[in-house]
Amino acid sequence: MLKIEKLRAYYDTIPALKGVSVEVPEGEIVSIIGANGAGKSTLLKAISGLIKTQQGRIAYKDQDIAGRAANKIVALGISQVPEGRQIFAHLTVQDNINLGAYLYFKRRNRAEIAERMSEVYTLFPILKRRVKQIAGTLSGGEQQMLAIARALMGRPELLLLDEPSMGLAPLIVREIFAVIKKLNESGTTILLVEQNAKTALNVAKHAFVLETGEIVLEGLASDLLDNPKVKEAYLGG
Amino acid sequence: MEKITFASQLMQYLITGLTVGSIYAMVAIGFNIIYNVTEIINFAQGEFVMLGGLIMVFLHVAAGLPLLAAFPLTIILVTLAGMLLDRLAISPIRQPSVLTLIIATIGASIIIKGIAMFIWGKDPFDLPAFSGRNPIHLMGAVIQPQYLWVGGFLIIIVILLTFFFEKTIIGKAMSACAENPDAASLVGINVKHMILLSFSLSAAIGAVAGITITPISLMEYDRGAMLAIKGFGAVVLGGLGSFPGAILGGLILGTIESFGAGLIHSGYKDAFALIVLLAVLFIRPSGLLGSVEVSKFKRF
Repeated sequence: MLKIEKLRAYYDTIPALKGVSVEVPEGEIVSIIGANGAGKSTLLKAISGLIKTQQGRIAYKDQDIAGRAANKIVALGISQVPEGRQIFAHLTVQDNINLGAYLYFKRRNRAEIAERMSEVYTLFPILKRRVKQIAGTLSGGEQQMLAIARALMGRPELLLLDEPSMGLAPLIVREIFAVIKKLNESGTTILLVEQNAKTALNVAKHAFVLETGEIVLEGLASDLLDNPKVKEAYLGG
Repeated sequence: MEKITFASQLMQYLITGLTVGSIYAMVAIGFNIIYNVTEIINFAQGEFVMLGGLIMVFLHVAAGLPLLAAFPLTIILVTLAGMLLDRLAISPIRQPSVLTLIIATIGASIIIKGIAMFIWGKDPFDLPAFSGRNPIHLMGAVIQPQYLWVGGFLIIIVILLTFFFEKTIIGKAMSACAENPDAASLVGINVKHMILLSFSLSAAIGAVAGITITPISLMEYDRGAMLAIKGFGAVVLGGLGSFPGAILGGLILGTIESFGAGLIHSGYKDAFALIVLLAVLFIRPSGLLGSVEVSKFKRF
């Protein structure tokens, strides 16, 4: 579904991605693990169009999307849940959810929005109880749920998740990953970027290890879990 | 007898001050709309007011269009000027820093002023008041009917903007851009379009201010800069980015100016706004209704 070939990206003159190739087959969960600063977020931002890439191809359903504007890429069915959630903190929960369906509002597709909204609230019942609350006053876990819910309102076929476990208690992480699995079972392809390697490898079928802008290992997630190098570097021995 | 005259004089200052203050409030609202989406202080904001007044004079007085036709047409033309400002001065700048963009607006304001001088010359123009010039007497003060139009339009603008930002998805999208442009583009909002929209809205509001104030104080090509400074003073007084603050700041500034001119010396009229501006920056840089916490993160 998504095929990234030899992608290079720079921050000013500092290379952040040095020729990264990643493939995400339709219907799968693919994880990319790596330490802080390895280039994981840069990769996701390149896919969703937030940063410009210098070289390489990003093919989504066989069309090259590298260099397109972020707001055009969402319309193709790729939604990103950005690192640090990036919810609209001064707006209400309901406004955040509505804005997630911005493209449908533009197409005046009210029925679609209502259907989507009820699905999202079934997935995250806690958000329904908070609709009128200002988003910035939610707990960290709820904010992460809101960020996912907002991305889902765009009815993505490919969901990009940037560190959904960041700063959350283990119990909440488990809850969020249960939702990620559920989404995948209902047909959404997922590309997950995580520092929390164990959780990320447990949920994925294929996985990649990114180190200083390069893919150093790739394969079945279950194999990587047993790989001594991965064990030592990412799973705490 | 003496006492009553003084009281009625104070009343007069208050009413005049609130009228002028309403205009400052409109300019301040225009500043805030653009600031909230882009963090730019658009120093060409006053030129929109000037253009509104002069284009209205041209359409209504020179071309003889009826008031009801000239009014919306003027707003449309000034809105187009606002869109051109974004497309020609703001949007083409590559890798913009906020400061570069602000300087671009200053440059644009000088150009607009120059063009206006070419078209209209240096003389001030008058516009007939919307509903005559028979004054209404209230508690010894004289109220021009046009004063009520100015106040009325401020109220209409506030109601329409409140509806726009609170109830429409485009309004929410604009707030979203203001808060987090990256996240906004991730839900499919075209941030550049929202910036264009913010310039259009500000220009339209500036036009209304210009059209309504011209019958009271006339209009000439170089009025924009002073209006921009007064409006900016109102914004700073009320708190950068706050709409209630803009209205409050504008009305207070207008009133201070009017009382100052009446009680101290009318020659210092323009100085009062600047004194207030400096005083606020010294004492409470976040403004009356601005949050101190937020102001720490502001780049300006």
